[in-house]
Amino acid sequence: MDTLCIEGLTKKFGAHTVLDEISFTVPEHSVFGFLGQNGAGKTTTMKLILGLLKADGGQIRVLGEPVTYGQTKTNRLVGYLPDVPEFYGYMKPAEYLKLCGEIAGLSKKEIARRSEELLHLVGLEEARKKISGFSRGMKQRLGITQALLTRPKLLICDEPTSALDPVGRRELLNILHQVREQTTVLFSTHILSDAEQICDRIAVLHQGNLALCGELSRIKAQKSANALFVSFASAADVSELTASPYLLPYCSQIEVQGSCLTIRSTDIKPVQQAVLSALYGKGLFPLKMEIQEPTLEGIFMEAIQ
Amino acid sequence: MNGFIAFTKKELCESLRTYKLIILGIVFLLLGIMSPLTAKLMPELIGSFLPEGMTMSIAEPTAMDSWMQFFKNVPQIGLVVTVILFSAMISGELSRGTLVNVLTKGLCRSSVILAKFLAALLTFTAAYVLCFAACLGYTVLYWHDPVSLLPLAVFALWAFGILLIASLLLGGVLFRSGYGALLFTGGFTVCLFLLNFFPQVQKFSPLRLAADNVSLLSGELAASDFAIPFVICGLLLIVFLWAAVSLFNRKQI
Repeated sequence: MDTLCIEGLTKKFGAHTVLDEISFTVPEHSVFGFLGQNGAGKTTTMKLILGLLKADGGQIRVLGEPVTYGQTKTNRLVGYLPDVPEFYGYMKPAEYLKLCGEIAGLSKKEIARRSEELLHLVGLEEARKKISGFSRGMKQRLGITQALLTRPKLLICDEPTSALDPVGRRELLNILHQVREQTTVLFSTHILSDAEQICDRIAVLHQGNLALCGELSRIKAQKSANALFVSFASAADVSELTASPYLLPYCSQIEVQGSCLTIRSTDIKPVQQAVLSALYGKGLFPLKMEIQEPTLEGIFMEAIQ
Repeated sequence: MNGFIAFTKKELCESLRTYKLIILGIVFLLLGIMSPLTAKLMPELIGSFLPEGMTMSIAEPTAMDSWMQFFKNVPQIGLVVTVILFSAMISGELSRGTLVNVLTKGLCRSSVILAKFLAALLTFTAAYVLCFAACLGYTVLYWHDPVSLLPLAVFALWAFGILLIASLLLGGVLFRSGYGALLFTGGFTVCLFLLNFFPQVQKFSPLRLAADNVSLLSGELAASDFAIPFVICGLLLIVFLWAAVSLFNRKQI
């Protein structure tokens, strides 16, 4: 069953259409990466799923239940980590989690147990000061704690790694990876390597439409616009190689950067053959020669062009 | 209901930890002590300012003078401080985005408004009771003459204060900013004062609850003259809260 199902979702701010009839589904226990440039509408989509904004068209379902704006019953199934989580600064972390737990209707015992467990998970068990004295990274950690407190079926994180140092980022990605056993994760980011590490599915939002959506491995396989990368000791070798008649059919696909060159092609085998023949013919010896797999960055850049 | 109780506790905790309760308590306590004291010292004060050789006969102050001071100071200073302190109730949360976490935990939106109202009501009531108790204590200490209908007059002023708090909530939901809420409540009060120029309106206006308390004590007005203003005040209170809740339900956060 799909945890989240979005159909024909449209949102306008005045005359500006932020989302134009987008549709996608997030299957259970997947980690879904939501990519897009700043202002592409990632946060808007998330707020629509949470019923904080009113949609101008389309439908959102969480575990089959429709999301309603204003009084949003489906929020009991959802945990949300905002891009910049804000707390009541005069409270301590445990007090804040108690407030959240009481609102969600958890028992006292459950709140205490969950709080301890999660504060330990994010490394805040020693932080006994008021939240007003927290750094942004600490707030981000507390944010993930409150989002996971109620054991949500769907965890929505809005750019969770953007405020963290490399160690914190690594830890947060690990947490997201761990919790996929119990929940489904939808997270937005513009750090493509983060998405590449933990997502099994991605969607790229561009100018109000989904430029790309599906399983990451399948997208990568489809976009096999591979490239052959050859590097030499000197730039002279590069110009000698490109002058070879073997490479004539590919001259429009060759990119030269200093002493390296890249040849892009959908079918890489004949290119390899031509390059090897040319190298042999000219008696050239490259330092390195490799086939470059499509990266998420490449796919992303291609999708938003 | 769980959410409502939890959020009310949070609001009371906020009142305490952000010093709202203490500031309001100190201001109201001072007003409560000041009122009988000014009444008591007024003749001497006036006497000391008069030029040498000039005499003026001033009536000996009574308990009534003390309550006159009370019903002048509390609306003019106490209610103004209350309104300023509570003006950011809604706007503070909306502008900082602190409601996002609690609303996505399943907190009902009407609970937010009603819990804020209840907590502000309790905070204001605590300060007001302190003020009244201080004023009553000193008044009884200085003078022994009884004042009739005092409980009704004191309750009337309290009711008007609660109405102002409800108008602040509606203003906060309408305008999203603390200044907007202040302006709304200020505008509402100014409208009441303007309407009071018409003698026919005076009988119905809830402003009577905060402006004519001394007339009630002196016997110029009877308790029954306060009945309609009380009803109108109650109705306005319900309308303000209802409007605040239903507008907040439709607010994009």
